[in-house]
Amino acid sequence: MQLTLLALTLALLTVIGFLIGRSRASSSVGGRVAELHSVPAYHGVYVALWAGLPALLLFVAWTASEGWLVLQLVLSALPERLATGDGQSVALLKADILNLARGIATGREPDPLVMEAARRYTAFRDLADWSLLAVGASLAVAGLAWGSHRIGPDLRARPVVERVVRVALVLCSLVAILTTVGIVLSLLFEALRFFSVVSPLDFLFGTHWSPQMAMRADQVGSSGSFGAIPLFAGTLLITVVAMLVAVPVGLMAAIYMSEYAGRGVRTWLKPALEILAGIPTVVYGFFAALTMAPFVRSVGEALGLDVSSESALAAGIVMGVMIIPFVSSLSDDVINAVPQSLRDGSYGLGATKSETIKQVVLPAALPGIVAAVMLAVSRAIGETMIVTMASGLTANLTANPLQAVTTVTTQIATLLVGDQEFDSPKTLSAFGLGLVLFLVTLCLNMVALRVVRTYREKYD
Amino acid sequence: MTTRTHAVAASAFAFTLSLAAAPAVAQSRDQIRAVGSSTVFPFTTAVAEAFGKTGKFKTPVVESTGTGGGLKLFCAGVGPGHPDIANASRRIKKSEVDQCAGNGVTTMTELKIGYDGIALASSKKAAPVSLSTVILWKALAKEVPVNGALVANPYRLWSDIDPSLPKVAIEVLGPPPTSGTRDTFNELAMLEGCRKLTEVAGAVPDEKARERVCMTIREDGAYVEAGENDNLIVQKLAANPNAFGIFGYSYLDQNRDTLQSAKMDGVELTAETVAAGKYELARPLYIYVKNAHAGVIPGIREFIGEYTSERALGDDGYLVDKGLIPEPKALRDAARVEAVNLTPLQF
Amino acid sequence: MTDLVERDVAAVTPSPASSPGPSSAPKSRLRSEAFARRLRARHAAERRFRLAGAAAVALAALILLLLLGSIVAKGASAFWEARIRLEVTLDPAEVADRNYTAALRRALYAQFPQVTDRAGKRVLNDLLSSGAPYELEAMVAKNPALAGTTQTVWVRADDQIDQLVKGAYRRDLPETERGLSDAKVAAADALLASGALAQSFNTTLFTAGDSREPEQAGIGGAIIGSLLTLLVTMALSVPVGIAAAVYLEEFAPKNRWTDLIEVNINNLAAVPSIIFGLLGLAVFLGFFGMPRSAPLVGGLVMALMTLPVIIISARVALKAVPPSIRQAALGIGASPLQTVLHHVLPLAMPGILTGTIIGMARALGETAPLLMIGMVAFIVDIPRGLTDSATVLPVQIYMWADSPERAFTERTSAAILILLGVLILLNGAAVILRKIFERRW
Repeated sequence: MQLTLLALTLALLTVIGFLIGRSRASSSVGGRVAELHSVPAYHGVYVALWAGLPALLLFVAWTASEGWLVLQLVLSALPERLATGDGQSVALLKADILNLARGIATGREPDPLVMEAARRYTAFRDLADWSLLAVGASLAVAGLAWGSHRIGPDLRARPVVERVVRVALVLCSLVAILTTVGIVLSLLFEALRFFSVVSPLDFLFGTHWSPQMAMRADQVGSSGSFGAIPLFAGTLLITVVAMLVAVPVGLMAAIYMSEYAGRGVRTWLKPALEILAGIPTVVYGFFAALTMAPFVRSVGEALGLDVSSESALAAGIVMGVMIIPFVSSLSDDVINAVPQSLRDGSYGLGATKSETIKQVVLPAALPGIVAAVMLAVSRAIGETMIVTMASGLTANLTANPLQAVTTVTTQIATLLVGDQEFDSPKTLSAFGLGLVLFLVTLCLNMVALRVVRTYREKYD
Repeated sequence: MTTRTHAVAASAFAFTLSLAAAPAVAQSRDQIRAVGSSTVFPFTTAVAEAFGKTGKFKTPVVESTGTGGGLKLFCAGVGPGHPDIANASRRIKKSEVDQCAGNGVTTMTELKIGYDGIALASSKKAAPVSLSTVILWKALAKEVPVNGALVANPYRLWSDIDPSLPKVAIEVLGPPPTSGTRDTFNELAMLEGCRKLTEVAGAVPDEKARERVCMTIREDGAYVEAGENDNLIVQKLAANPNAFGIFGYSYLDQNRDTLQSAKMDGVELTAETVAAGKYELARPLYIYVKNAHAGVIPGIREFIGEYTSERALGDDGYLVDKGLIPEPKALRDAARVEAVNLTPLQF
Repeated sequence: MTDLVERDVAAVTPSPASSPGPSSAPKSRLRSEAFARRLRARHAAERRFRLAGAAAVALAALILLLLLGSIVAKGASAFWEARIRLEVTLDPAEVADRNYTAALRRALYAQFPQVTDRAGKRVLNDLLSSGAPYELEAMVAKNPALAGTTQTVWVRADDQIDQLVKGAYRRDLPETERGLSDAKVAAADALLASGALAQSFNTTLFTAGDSREPEQAGIGGAIIGSLLTLLVTMALSVPVGIAAAVYLEEFAPKNRWTDLIEVNINNLAAVPSIIFGLLGLAVFLGFFGMPRSAPLVGGLVMALMTLPVIIISARVALKAVPPSIRQAALGIGASPLQTVLHHVLPLAMPGILTGTIIGMARALGETAPLLMIGMVAFIVDIPRGLTDSATVLPVQIYMWADSPERAFTERTSAAILILLGVLILLNGAAVILRKIFERRW
């Protein structure tokens, strides 16, 4: 309750700060705004920042630590008998206190000491929340006063505000880096455990994937071989098939929507195609397994080919359909953003519409299209459900799309949710696969960046 | 424009920051949490729902994480951040008990809730067949003995193994090696079938090597590793009359109009044959309860009571409707007493 | 030269009237037979190209319709549910005892006076949903005055009866294969004939939480869970994503360091989604101690997962804004920040929106990362806050698709339809926003 109140107070004070700052700025120069260093709105934001930011930081730090602090306080007041012991019993004791403090019945008569602790916990929390409200609100008011006090014609409000915004922007782009660090760390340790059991060379260059291993320590395992090449080959195969569907269809659809179709048609067609991206993958999985795979098989048999009932082709085609909107929608936007002057120039030289598109518009839009295709490839690599359902989990090393293959991510998902022990190499190999996949896509992306750079310089 | 854009940007930023720093407080919990096997999931959820409807406690949350993942979570520690119950489609292993103990989970209660039969089913459109573990092993092993020596499995058609079987290609859709169903199948069908064949012992004298040969499933396409979605296997079988599928009894039970199960050594798969121990491909299912949580997390004892009650596990109980095959009454009653008293598991 | 320009205009406007005949003008290199042939070939190429574009759109639309059609065909029946009409006498003593089962059974037996044996009565009991007593209880709780009266109520039928009414069981099969006993079929037919068994609109599907009994299962909880999760995802990934894109595209110095960030972001887009789940498990649950199964954690994980998609598409959109706009703004004295906020960003908005929509659509349809943080779970209670246990729509769909009970098949499709409905609403909003922002140079 107090926290909501504080949040509302802060929001209100920020808005007030903005209004005060703006009006004070104009009144300080008697309405001749041109005499100010920065426009009045910047002064407004300046005051708002002073009012809101310090109090917000305090708010965040306080709420993050309050529960813990209060709990420690309550625990330290408990007699030795209860509060000491290993970490486990303390964890349970904490849970007990919290449950009681929230009035949750556990179905037994609680220890009076614990009851007392729960009561104290509630009281402390109350006190702490009220004091946060008081401190936070006064900090905000002080900030507001300080900020508005500094307002004057010479205040360089804009650079200050811009510096703050800039810092915020940098922080935002760091989120991506932190995510990567987190992912690498969460994969690395388990992957190292895996590589201590299975040699990395066997893993990277082995051509046979068959994680049939012992299920119990007292049992003899059958062939457990962890050669990841078939998985990467399978991933590549399915991705290529998917791209062969998605890129031509998606790109032609994008060209049609942005260059040929009327505005009204395009407005509705584009979001309609985007629905394809949002259909749950289970649906595609069933479609691939029960409609596309038998269809591919019967067509193949009519042509006299030997088609497995689970084929990479069926999975790849359906996956291609799923990622059409990735290519079409994003490409449509970049094609649309190519300046009309380029097209007019081309028409002026006598080119037909299709020639203009092929020779002027597409090259100009290429970086964006490559980005769209890369996103689509990423999605294809990351997809698990369609492959699991339509192409099975058998790791064949083959370039024949009519056979069953499996992909890296499908294996990762299956290995992680299997019934195996968590420290068996079977499960750990998921982390090894994840790490290698991460590194492989990193290399691919570096190459892609180079390619885009080379082409992009022509049209910048 | 200036004003508005700045205000919007500032407020968006403030909101972001406050969300990102969501408080990391200690947790309390008033809801039982169960994790684990996807095979036991339908049963534990049914009990959870019935338990929630009694109105005294909140409905427990049941996650389907796979047995291994579930036991890992279960064994990670004691306290409200860790689950109270683990569902398992196999018995807990020594290494897992040790891991549990290392993390402070020293006492737990084991409850065997019943059995799951593993069906070897095919479409009704195909002629009914009678299989045996020996035939299955010959059809699915990677290497089989021919004239006293092990060779890569030469059988392409069922009739290659036994002329009385249909002349169709061997195609079996089954679970991947990570699945507990596969483990059970390996142990109950492959190993058993293999042991009955004296030629194998002749070809591979070393016992350990023989076991390895027995349990390795062929990888040339006759055995198709399908995913864990049993409904998909059911539908694939309906579309492909020549294929067999390996999956749990409850799916067979719900699809008797399109599927038939093969007889195993002459025994039909029914609840009765499994409960009587006649049908070979059946495995026990378990749940594990963390004793330290009883009394702190509300309702654990009552939940166990509901799980073991006759209304759930009895011969007409709702779990039977869901496809669970219960143990005979005498064993059930003994298990109930042990479970409700939270008798710790001795390993 | 003039001549050349005239020809070009003709080439662009392919109307037969204006196309030059070889005889109508003095012979020049440009009016030769070969030129006319080339022109025809170019126009043919133009038509082919256009046709290919239309075909691509048509193909995509066709597949979309095919998929939607099959889902609708399978799922439409789930919007109706079978209910049984009973004359229930609410005994006050039983009401006080919260025992509604007895009242329901009495009313049901009254419709079948010929059934007296235990086995026959058990068949009748199984016609009703196991949730029927709770329906009565809720009715009485709303209006306590009903105790002691006799009411006509329509209560839910069992899922097998529901499926029988909808024709999912084959009556020609023997009962062991049908999975539904002849006695039950006969009893249901008797009720149907007397009009006491009928289908009505299925409100349960929208309001209830999950259940193991198909007739009591709904996606109310999953919808709320999805909305809460999406709210967190959107609140985080959209502002952070746009801010990161703006920084990288407009402010960051071009050096090795920013190259690294760029490659890194592209790479994040290719990380399998289940790995984000592992990250969430380690960081949000392990390190920050947030509760399992909470939409807050789900939203955070989804935000990290969609962030690269949003950053990449926003960067592409920002790149596509012509440099002249920036130069003009800077030229009249705007600061770099003002240039971006007032001019570049609004112009890049349609592209950013596309990326956001695709990212959100993905977040809305994703299940794998949620597995690790406990949102692939059976949760009956409808979540009321960001830290309550919750699941999301695609997870619900995934779990129903894997349930053995036959009646879940149609409910799976119905849930997919509802998910798509949410998506169409989202896309509709994007259409309107794009209309406001879009322009061409």
